[in-house]
Amino acid sequence: MLGKLIKHEFNATARIFLPLYLIMLLLSLINRVMFSIDNLSKPLKTIRNFSIAMYVLSILAAIVVTFVIMILRFYRNLLSDEGYLMFTLPVKPSQHIISKLIVSMIWNIGTLAVVALSLLAMLGTRDNLESLKEILDGLLYGLRLGFGDKYGLVIAEYAILLLVGTVMQILMIYASIAIGHLFTEHRVIGSFAAYIGINTIVQMISTIIMLIWTNIELSMLNYSPYYSELNEWESSISILEAVPSKVFPFSIIFTIILSVVYYIVTNYIFKKKLNLN
Amino acid sequence: MSVILECNALSKRFGSTLALDNFSLRLERGKIVGLLGPNGSGKTTLIKIINGLLVPNAGGITIAGMAPGVETKRIVSYLPEKTYLPDWMKVSDTIRFFKDFYEDFDEKRAYDMLHRLNLDPSKRLKSLSKGTKEKVQLILVMSRRADLYCLDEPIGGVDPAARDYILNTIITNYDENATIIISTHLIADIENILDEAVFIKAGRLVLHAPVDEIREKEGKSIDTLFREVFRC
Repeated sequence: MLGKLIKHEFNATARIFLPLYLIMLLLSLINRVMFSIDNLSKPLKTIRNFSIAMYVLSILAAIVVTFVIMILRFYRNLLSDEGYLMFTLPVKPSQHIISKLIVSMIWNIGTLAVVALSLLAMLGTRDNLESLKEILDGLLYGLRLGFGDKYGLVIAEYAILLLVGTVMQILMIYASIAIGHLFTEHRVIGSFAAYIGINTIVQMISTIIMLIWTNIELSMLNYSPYYSELNEWESSISILEAVPSKVFPFSIIFTIILSVVYYIVTNYIFKKKLNLN
Repeated sequence: MSVILECNALSKRFGSTLALDNFSLRLERGKIVGLLGPNGSGKTTLIKIINGLLVPNAGGITIAGMAPGVETKRIVSYLPEKTYLPDWMKVSDTIRFFKDFYEDFDEKRAYDMLHRLNLDPSKRLKSLSKGTKEKVQLILVMSRRADLYCLDEPIGGVDPAARDYILNTIITNYDENATIIISTHLIADIENILDEAVFIKAGRLVLHAPVDEIREKEGKSIDTLFREVFRC
């Protein structure tokens, strides 16, 4: 049943995303052709500038649409009149949340991939690719300088953090919408208030954790009997070392815990507190 | 006779109002039951609880012996009073949707009914009038071979001609093991097809009896009795 929900969610959203992606790619190809012509006549120049502007707009549109559709699908499909259809299907409320989350993630990644692809299609000349490679090499060199042979771990952890971070953001919006649903009136305002409220609480918790942590680390340094400039140098190294061994792993775990909490809250409201208008 | 629906002292509170108040009811299979009461008497609340869209504050409910959940949703076919189909879908999309999720959905029956009511399956719901959308919904709901049908105000928005066809469809399509609950305040229109009447007032059960028995005992039609019981 989860598969069917995902399929239908995909159908309902693909009709918006696929044309948008197509337009973006077409514009990037037009630009590519325009760029390859050396001496553009004046009217052609105008057209080129116009199509560049349209391309930039299409990227912006894709980002905005990805975000808006994520919210709108969840709210409209589950908690407006369409909810009467969805919540009487023989599926669990949790499957609704997961299917929406998975499809949202797919479009998030999809938008990113298509933007990258269109940039590559538009600007991917040999020269540009070589400078891109140089930039990446420089980045890699910097990472290796900072983290030694742990640079691969840092990249992997960062990628995971981005991924779970996106999942967490989506689930946070879902939880906010679900909490807004608890109000009998002004549910949209309630959702915004819930979002701001959750954000504030999470900020407070993470600030407290940060403060405690840095205090512990600092006190450890201060108690060191050989406090000297050499130690300061070592401490900056230990901070760098803490990134793959402490900072990133902790952030990933914290993000996962938050995601689970948001999921549980949303699921509880759907199961016990549903009250469609 | 096996029981399809059993409500045991159900209560549902919204803020300070009691929508259902210690409501008990037992329905057997193979009946067409009118759930009759004025606006705000708790009809929709009861139907939503049967369909798992609301959780009662107190009391118990079972459908074919099961608490509301995935298993009961498989065997309950629900027509809400809302137009709940996504606007961007074509009529044929909605049929595919129902076929995908409900094993008991009879596609052929659905297309037959669409044809009979001159509805074009390739039309988008966006382009249909509210009454036509309600017809499509009723067709979808009645094309399932469910054990329990819950029809919330099924004839409110459609014209009298279609109303007759729809009522006819309801009677001819339901098999002897299924029970149909029809909630309405338009009693005169459906009185003839009812086996049993349930009167509900301010969230409380007022009366539950076979229609024939009521007519015999009271010597009046359900409609007349309704007007008396719910006199303002």
